[in-house]
Amino acid sequence: MTAHKNHEQTQKSGGFRPGCLGVLVMIALTIFLPRVVPVLQPHVALPADRILDDPLFTIPGLPGDQGAVYLTNTLVTWAIAVFIVLLMGFLVGRRVKQAMARDEYVLTGFTDVFVSFVEVLYNLTESTAGKWTRVIFPYFVTITTLVLVINWMELLPGIDTIGVLTPSHKPGYGYVVKDLGPVAILWEEAEGKGEKGEALVPGGRYGLAAVEEGEPTYEFRPFFRVASTDLNFTLALALVSVIMTQIVGLRALGAHYMEKFFNFRALLRGPMGLLDFAVGLLELISEFSKILSFSFRLFGNIFAGSVLLFVMGALMPPILFGFYGLELFVGLIQAFVFGMLTMVFMAQATQHH
Amino acid sequence: MEALGKLGISLGFLLMQFLAFFIIMVLLRMWAWDPIVTFLQRRREKLAKALEDARVAAEARANAEAEAEKILAEARAKAEALIEDARKRAEEVARQVREQAEAEAKRIREQAQAEMEAERNRMLGELREQIAALAVAAAQKIVQESLDEARQRALLQEFFSGIRDKKIVVLDELGDVAEADKVEVVTAVPLTEDEKALIRKALEEKLGSVAIDYVVDPSILGGVVLRIGDRVLDGSVSRQLQALKAQLTTA
Amino acid sequence: MEATAAKLIGAGLAMIGAIGAGLGIGVLAGGAVQGIARNPDAAGTIQTNMILGIAFAEAVAIYCLVVALLLIFAV
Repeated sequence: MTAHKNHEQTQKSGGFRPGCLGVLVMIALTIFLPRVVPVLQPHVALPADRILDDPLFTIPGLPGDQGAVYLTNTLVTWAIAVFIVLLMGFLVGRRVKQAMARDEYVLTGFTDVFVSFVEVLYNLTESTAGKWTRVIFPYFVTITTLVLVINWMELLPGIDTIGVLTPSHKPGYGYVVKDLGPVAILWEEAEGKGEKGEALVPGGRYGLAAVEEGEPTYEFRPFFRVASTDLNFTLALALVSVIMTQIVGLRALGAHYMEKFFNFRALLRGPMGLLDFAVGLLELISEFSKILSFSFRLFGNIFAGSVLLFVMGALMPPILFGFYGLELFVGLIQAFVFGMLTMVFMAQATQHH
Repeated sequence: MEALGKLGISLGFLLMQFLAFFIIMVLLRMWAWDPIVTFLQRRREKLAKALEDARVAAEARANAEAEAEKILAEARAKAEALIEDARKRAEEVARQVREQAEAEAKRIREQAQAEMEAERNRMLGELREQIAALAVAAAQKIVQESLDEARQRALLQEFFSGIRDKKIVVLDELGDVAEADKVEVVTAVPLTEDEKALIRKALEEKLGSVAIDYVVDPSILGGVVLRIGDRVLDGSVSRQLQALKAQLTTA
Repeated sequence: MEATAAKLIGAGLAMIGAIGAGLGIGVLAGGAVQGIARNPDAAGTIQTNMILGIAFAEAVAIYCLVVALLLIFAV
């Protein structure tokens, strides 16, 4: 998809390019390939799938098996995204330092794009946070960049579609596969041999079909799944955002910061003060609701986006491109909103009421 | 807890990601954010400095332009002053030329007038002799030569010049008189040089040195009129006749 | 089977709550656009406050989403 975008841009600047042909071929493939190979809608599940059944390591001191960290498919993409972000940051930072050493202030290529992006965020932070910019900005820009890269990974081919097949736990459920030498592709979805012995959805071209008695069925676990569709990631980010907001607030205002939540001074003012005190308690509750809304906003948007791509891919593959564009936009907006809200909440925490 | 598990949340994973975020942030801050922010600030300063330099340059240029404008204005004013000066000088020269011409014309006119006057006086002087001769002849006819020739002539002389026994008759009427620097002597016919000398002597006795203007005016018929300052001593025949006429009519 | 059906229906009903959030976000964005149109200089502040307001309005829809997800996957 990113290649596709690049081709569109180069096409604008020049005449006919070979890349153009590539795009046309890709569009043709989305039209004709589904007539040869069935496009199946992957099974939607909330928890991430484990690639290995044994935990990678266990964090001690946590109750039950909660400390165990498994190698899940979201962890794989998370690690890839983190690697990309760190590499990008490292390379751009090195280029910027080199440019500064040469006393040059004109950048080119990707470095320029990246620095311009950072500049936009920095100016935004500066206009909102004032003298606390230096403290708040790293959270804003790190969250935005990380979430943006992770969200856009949703659009890469291979995500959610390459994985490992394991024999179905429940015989009759899962997928029927077709062997193609070293690899196999999903050929049919088996929703269990109908309890009453009939096909569940007859007539549907790519729909569900009854599986022959005794045919082996498999479960499919993709290797890669976008980290934003794992609540662990979004919740961890939300916790970072909310907890660090409290810490920044405490750093800025000291003990006065807690007055926002426990307004004992208002109580001294009589009955109307009671209302103010209640409002303060509501503020405390809203801090907890922020955790929920931060994590589920990102999770909901990206999860719904990937489900949308599954469904549209299964229903009408040729118009998938349009939805890719939509997801590109949603991914950007959600990354920006997550970072921006963190920044604004932190900036508010540094100010007196 | 079980519900969280069904949503895919596991505390270990959560905690790991939570901590990992800080590691990522610290690394990125060290590698990227701090250098980029420094870069941005330096670029901003550089830009501000460039703008400031441009502003200073623009100001300097504006100053230079103002200076040039001032110099030009001064030069223009100087040129105008020069032109004005030249024009004035030319006007002055023209005026002088005109004045000279006028003065010349006046001089010529005055000269002509003076010549005319002299001519008239000369003619009147000549006439005097004839008038005197005629008058003597006529008188001789009337008084049958009762008067000798010399007496007759003296009388006539007195009549015309207002001078008797070498004295200006009317001068006795002048009492004490303030200083006068100019005396006009009016006679009906031009005076002879002797008479002029006489009058001068008489006047100088009375008034000290004084400028004397001799004017010939036949309309006074005879005698002399002296204008000394603002006083007029009228010893003219015409006045005597007037007085006589007045006496006769009143008598 | 009836239990599954009831869960799915419940999840669908829970998402009705998103209507309110949708209305709220629409009103908010409309107001912000009007504000920016009247005073383009204040665009930055208005945008920040709009995003904040949208975040609060959206929180309601997110509660609905959480309930729906819990109904489908966790009950």
